[in-house]
Amino acid sequence: MGLTIRWVRRSTRDDPDVVVCYLAHCLLNANAKVDEGARCAGVSTPVLALLRERGATIRQMPCPELAFGGTRRFWAVREQYDTPAYRAHCRRLAEPVAAQVRADLAAGHRVLVIGIDGSPSMGVELTAADDTWGGRPDKPRDEDYPVTPGAGLFTETLLGLLGEEAGALRAVGIGQDLFDYDEERELAKLGGILSGDGEPGAR
Amino acid sequence: VAVVPDAYLNPAAGSDDHLVGLAAAGWGVVALPQPGLPAHVERAALAAVADQLTAFLDDGYEVALAEPDDPLAGRLNGVLVAGGRRLRAGVSPLTGPGSQAQPGRSTVGGSEHVGG
Repeated sequence: MGLTIRWVRRSTRDDPDVVVCYLAHCLLNANAKVDEGARCAGVSTPVLALLRERGATIRQMPCPELAFGGTRRFWAVREQYDTPAYRAHCRRLAEPVAAQVRADLAAGHRVLVIGIDGSPSMGVELTAADDTWGGRPDKPRDEDYPVTPGAGLFTETLLGLLGEEAGALRAVGIGQDLFDYDEERELAKLGGILSGDGEPGAR
Repeated sequence: VAVVPDAYLNPAAGSDDHLVGLAAAGWGVVALPQPGLPAHVERAALAAVADQLTAFLDDGYEVALAEPDDPLAGRLNGVLVAGGRRLRAGVSPLTGPGSQAQPGRSTVGGSEHVGG
């Protein structure tokens, strides 16, 4: 390994103040995005830099769409993925994530799930849903992609598996799948949550 | 796509940050599970990683193990070999993955993006 940068960061092991961040897969691997949908070559470096700066522990969640639809899939909405088979697939992928989240919560860590707002699978506050969307992918995706309030299917599955324990974590979506994506705004939002904004007794 | 151990995502204090080097060279990363998970959780997590890597391999992506001697990398390779796939050993953050980039498919898009 030739090119490395030495970071000075605190140890995250056995540190109850540390935030364990479960990242949507594509934040570390934009190759997983829908065809021509990536915003960077590989790793979302501004997000990584922010998490490094805050000493966060990083865990990468799987991309349910990649393993299900492959790398050449088109952009889709929740209704297209919302089948028993896809929900079972999400559940299979989410179960080991849920187990790790439970362990981190039991260790007293703060847990933050970082999804992708606007995604039919990884959305947290915003997903994409439309009863009529489908058929040939000939709709202009930059004009009428139906972003709607709600969580994506994987996020919904993960939080469902966690049950009441989901109340002990925070979840936030970075709006990389939104047309008006504003990186500065999204990083500020994430930074605020990492600092404890919105939590009782916020640090 | 570089397959990396958990230590790349969470380097120990004062150690080299290999993830930053890979990111600068344009690699996307798929992380192996952290060591020490219960066996059934590790198995499920490795299966999820294998599913995703299979998607990349089957579509002609360059997929390489950053630390081929890592025990978890070995177990992952076992899962993939059982499915008829094999990973390249070793990545070069200095050159990046560009030399074998997927022809006809841009992974870097413009300002408008939706889905996935």
